[in-house]
Formats: sequence, structure tokens, C-alpha cells
Amino acid sequence: MTVCDLFDSPDIELYFYHELDARERGRVDAHLRGCAACRQRLDDLRAIRRALASRPVVDAPPAGDWSGFMRRLDAAIAADTSAPGAASVSPRVATPRRGWSLRPALALAAMLALVTIGVAIAARYRTTPAPVIESASQAPAQTPAPELKADPDRSLKVGTAEHLERSKLVVLGLATRDPQHTTAADWQYERQLAGNLLTDTRLYRLQAQDRGMTDVARVMRDLETVLIEASMADKPDRDTLERVQRLITKRDLVVKMQVVASSAGL
Amino acid sequence: MNVGHRETADSDLVALAAAGDGAAFHALVERHRAMVYRLAYQFAGNHHDAEDITQDVFIKVYRSLERFRYDAQLTSWLYRIVMNACIDHKRRQSPAGWAPFTEEAELRMVNTPEERPGPEEQTYGGQLGEVLQSEIARLPPGQRLVFTMRHHEGLKLSEIASALDLAEGTVKRQLHAAVHRLRGALTSARVTTGGRA
Repeated sequence: MTVCDLFDSPDIELYFYHELDARERGRVDAHLRGCAACRQRLDDLRAIRRALASRPVVDAPPAGDWSGFMRRLDAAIAADTSAPGAASVSPRVATPRRGWSLRPALALAAMLALVTIGVAIAARYRTTPAPVIESASQAPAQTPAPELKADPDRSLKVGTAEHLERSKLVVLGLATRDPQHTTAADWQYERQLAGNLLTDTRLYRLQAQDRGMTDVARVMRDLETVLIEASMADKPDRDTLERVQRLITKRDLVVKMQVVASSAGL
Repeated sequence: MNVGHRETADSDLVALAAAGDGAAFHALVERHRAMVYRLAYQFAGNHHDAEDITQDVFIKVYRSLERFRYDAQLTSWLYRIVMNACIDHKRRQSPAGWAPFTEEAELRMVNTPEERPGPEEQTYGGQLGEVLQSEIARLPPGQRLVFTMRHHEGLKLSEIASALDLAEGTVKRQLHAAVHRLRGALTSARVTTGGRA
């Protein structure tokens, strides 16, 4: 069976969903005229659309009755101690903004020495149990872990500092890899490290948001974005690594992690 | 209900709700709950979980009212919250409970197909739409969200990327992978039904 140029590309889907510009659309049009396999792929998409269009759209509880939902929502919000009216609005962390504008290359250079030991340390952390953190949405508020009863904010700060430290090493590892000389095995390892950090990063972000630690939440969000991009990459190719590196640079991620950790007194 | 807020812009409703106006928050929920529920149902496949996810979404919205950026679109903000709520929901349903936080990375979770009946089992008992719906439910969560947002919600890939804070290339790959799986289900269904599907 002949495999055409577009076989492994998303071009037919993009064509179907009108996501191509006029020039690219013309190119796919021309291709379709001569490629039965791609015409079949396009027909499949139309068949999928027809079949799914025949399915009922479910956008409300049974019988369209929202009353029970609204009652439960009201009750949940009334009981929610982290709601805007109930929560004290924490002052913004006094972040030295000038620090954020440092050139990431300088920061990377300064910390490059850490990279060699970074992967080893990160690997050690992989076997360390994940931090237990309190989450209003994911853990029963009435049964916090014993160590959090005394000072949950302090526990969160300590956990945040540790998480940023091990994440920084992984981010540095990604940032300083040479795309030209990165093997599939190297890349797989970096991806795995990034994936291992993702869930905890999301949890720390949610915790920081809940407690009004805005700057910590922002850094966690940037870190989460980088980790998603790295860990979801499906090809161990140079483009992917370069894209991840651009993201790290664009967001000044390493510097932000350093500044937030130190400015929060962590 | 909330007739007084029918013409009020989303951003104004958010501001009012953040200032403690309960009616404004109700109006906000009523305006967007169908969209949230539709996505949640597409993700979860049943009313019980869809309602849980929808409730989680609006609780998170309520908690975050003061952090809403007024130059952003409310729907983009909502999509992101829905995505997080769906992933949180999926995590809670994980058989290992909290254990995945150490070893089961989120990547694995969002890329792991669901354990649900495959197209072969479904085709005998139903129509092609059901087969595909079932296959959508078996897609890894990331692909399922992207496909649902593109196909059912009609969002452009750039909008999805923006809403989920992902690179557009990542969104394209997720969509491509989802469509590839659905195409496979379609082919299987055709084979199973001798082309009737």
C-alpha cells in the first residue's frame, strides 16, 4: 500500500475543521484530487460528524431540572471557607520585580553547575513520597495531616520550596540540553522526570491559589505549562526540545522560581 | 430568574459577584452552566459525574472571582477551570486514590485510555453514533477534551490552545491522535457490521 505525503500529518483534520489558510487549503485540495486514501480519510471525518450529530446533546441534568444542582451549589458555597467573603485576602508577595527581568541566560549560566548533579538529585526525589498537602477540594478539610494542624501555611511553604528546588533541577536539565546531541533515551528520561513532577505542581498551584499566594501560583502555573509541554511531547525530536526551551526562556522560569522561593523566605 | 442581569456583561457579573452580589453569581452560573455541563458530560459520560464536575467548576469560579482578569474572556477562563476539574475528577476516580501523586504522573493519566467497552462490543448493540461516543469516552482525557472542545464546542485550535494554555502544536497533535482513534473505531464498526455502519 502506498503511503502518501499526508498520511502521518494532521492536515486532513485541519482541512476538515477549516484550520488551514488559503494556500495550505489549496495544497490539500490538489492532493485530495489525486489521493484516494486521503479522500477516504476525509469521508471518515464526515461520517464521524454525521454519526455524532445524531447523538443527543446532554447539557443539563435529567429532565432539564437544574433546581437540585443549584441548591447543592448554594449549599457548597455557603459551607466553603475559602470563598471570597470568608477568606482573608493575603497581601501580594513582595516580589522584587527587577529580579524577574534578569536575562535567563545569566541565571542559567550561574546555575549551570547544578545541572550535573541535578538529574541525580531529581532521580533521588522520584523515590521520595509526595508531600502531603491540605486541599479544600481534594482532601477532607476536617482531617488534615497531623503535621499541618499546627501551621498549614508553614507546611505549604516548606513543601513549595522543596518542590521548586527539585523542579528547578529538572527545568535546568531541559533548558541546557543540546538539541543537536540529545538521544531518544535522554529525552525519554527528561520527559519522565517532567511527568513525575506534574501532578504535585498542579496541587501546589491550587494550594497557592486557595491561600492567595499569587506569585507562587503564577510560577507554579508557568512550571506546569513547561512540564505539560515536555511530558506530553510524543516525539523525541529536536523541535520539541527547542520548543520547551523557548517556553522556559520566554517565561523566565528559572529566575522566577528562584525569586519566588527566596522572596517568600523559603 | 435573574431577569435584572440578563443584559449584564460577563465581566460586570464577575465584578458584582466578587463584591458579594449573590444574584450576579447566580446569573453567571445560569448563563454558562449548560456549556460546562455539556463538556463535563462529554468527559464523564454520565449525569452523576457531570453534575459533580459542574459543581466543582462553579465552586472554583466562586473562589477565584477576585482573580479574574477582566481583559480575558470568561469562557476561556471557564474552559481552563473545566479542564482542571475534569482532570481532578479523573484523579479522584483513580483506583489508587492519592497514590498516583508519586509514581503515576499526570501524563500517564491523561494519556491512558479508559477501561470501557470497545467498538466491537458496542456495535452489535447500537448505532454508529454510540460506537463513536463510546470510543470518545475511552480516549485519554487530554485527547477527549481537545476533541470535545473542537468538535462539539466548535472552538478554533488557537482558542483551545489559549484556553488550556498549551502550545497550538500540542493541541493539533492531541486532535490528530483523537481523530486517528475514532477513525479506527469507525473502521472496526464497518467491518463488524459488514459495512452497514
